[in-house]
Amino acid sequence: MAVYRRSYRPYSGALTPEWSRFLVLFRYFRRNLFRSKIQTGFFVLCFFYPIICLVIIYLAHSASFLAKLEIPSQLISIDNMFFFRFMSVQGVLAFLMTTFAGPGLISPDLANGALPLYFCRPFSRAEYVLGKSAVLGILLSQITWIPGVVLFAIQASFAGASWSWENLWIIGSLILGSLIWIAILSLLAMALSAWVKWRVVAGALLLAVMFFGAGFAQAINAVMRTDAGHFFDVGYLMAAVWMSLFKVDAGRGISAGEAWVAILAYCSVCLWLLLRKVRAYEVVR
Amino acid sequence: MNDRIIFEDVSKFYGEILGVNRINLSVPPGITSLVGPNGSGKTTLMNLMTGLVKPSRGRIEVLGCATDDPENLFKFVGYSTQFDAFPKGLTGFEFIYSYLRLSGMPRQDAERSARQAIERVNMVEAASRTIAAYSKGMRQRIRLAQALAHNPKVVVLDEPLNGLDPLARSEMIALFRASAAQGCYVIISSHILHEVDVISDQVILLSNGYVVAEGQIQSVREEIQEHPTQILIRCNRPRELAARLFEAEYTIEASIHKDGRGLLLKTRDADRFYLAVNQLAMNGIQIESITPADDDVLSVYEYLIGSEEVIR
Repeated sequence: MAVYRRSYRPYSGALTPEWSRFLVLFRYFRRNLFRSKIQTGFFVLCFFYPIICLVIIYLAHSASFLAKLEIPSQLISIDNMFFFRFMSVQGVLAFLMTTFAGPGLISPDLANGALPLYFCRPFSRAEYVLGKSAVLGILLSQITWIPGVVLFAIQASFAGASWSWENLWIIGSLILGSLIWIAILSLLAMALSAWVKWRVVAGALLLAVMFFGAGFAQAINAVMRTDAGHFFDVGYLMAAVWMSLFKVDAGRGISAGEAWVAILAYCSVCLWLLLRKVRAYEVVR
Repeated sequence: MNDRIIFEDVSKFYGEILGVNRINLSVPPGITSLVGPNGSGKTTLMNLMTGLVKPSRGRIEVLGCATDDPENLFKFVGYSTQFDAFPKGLTGFEFIYSYLRLSGMPRQDAERSARQAIERVNMVEAASRTIAAYSKGMRQRIRLAQALAHNPKVVVLDEPLNGLDPLARSEMIALFRASAAQGCYVIISSHILHEVDVISDQVILLSNGYVVAEGQIQSVREEIQEHPTQILIRCNRPRELAARLFEAEYTIEASIHKDGRGLLLKTRDADRFYLAVNQLAMNGIQIESITPADDDVLSVYEYLIGSEEVIR
């Protein structure tokens, strides 16, 4: 019979708050992301259009300069349509950024069976998903609503209090519209990468969901003479939501309410797929 | 606080697939080895112990702590999985440091603990290199370091000796022994039976999701009645000794050892043989040594699980 000295001393120091631990994942994956020069280059490129918008705002408030260029000042209007266009361009860039960065978030962990390493400590599945989605969430925020709000603030400083007060709702639209887009992109990217466990294939699938989804939607609409095909087109659904948020006339097609419901349904399905796959174990049948 | 790892009527089914069934265990401190063929439920048992999977039925307590309370459980439980998986681009130090931070350790404490753990597994020189450049043995050691880094009282190690060279194995075994000597619970699964035999204070033998035996290996061997105990006797006149042994009713079989300097006795009553040793040693027979020949893990494994499944 072994004799034990029982000299074991556990760690008795302070612990960091539970809520902050997912940020550890965020820090490491963000650093890895920017090791790629292409990724960093594309991230910088994403600020090209906001800079153009900044110049436009400046020009809109420089009547003398416009006169020198012989551009009628009525041509440049900083309103909800201006910010809707900004949102649409940055939304496309956010999607492209997601196809670069999203699929590599979870698939390597799943492919290598690394999830037990995360979960054999006080760290839950929800925190894992939150930590991973924070990488995309913060990254995409930097190219969508944050520059949008900065542009709004600059415009407000030029245009004065009355314009700001009248158009204050645009800030809400910028933030909400961006966040819902970031949520669907992050969840789609993570769910697909968790499902196929292969980074390249997950990236291709993400592109397929967007582009083939749009094609499939058009085919259904044409063959069945309906608008219901749009429910397969995530880009269209998001555009419908943005149009309602920015009070832009949507024309024909499905309503904003239907688009909201469809987007939330997509998010729920992705979350369900993700939680089914993000487990500490896998049964080999 | 209970000082044991307790399984009470625990079953785990993955849908229709059996993980483990009706497990009742009370694991004391020291080195406990889980032994069994592939698919016998070793990893499931470890995952249950660490709360990574919830039991379909039954109750598990690790030193009085429920396994569904990770915040408290992982203060004193460390787990090293058998998978060779590491986040991309991390160095050995960063790997351990980041998981300590994930456990909630503040920066300075995490740095200090990571360095200590790296020293314990003898990886100081390689700590600043990326794990991708490590050999299999180094990866195994750094994984062990992450399991030990927060100084857990219960260390659960899935196949910790796989891929290690003999020197690294002996270093790791020394590490397990040192932990056990401190009063820690070291739970190991291994296919390398002769090493299990050498290092374990107790074994748990699993087959098809059931525990077929548990306890100290000698006690387990004594419980196996259908297989006679084998004893190797080294002596100067084995033939004479064999003749005398055949006179005793407890002898089932006695065969001369192939080197001619001893004999192998098979008996159903080893205690009576041991009592009779002095009488047997008279008449000029010099007995050099008497050693049990089949109270090791390998023999018990063969008897209980079957020779076709033995992994040597």
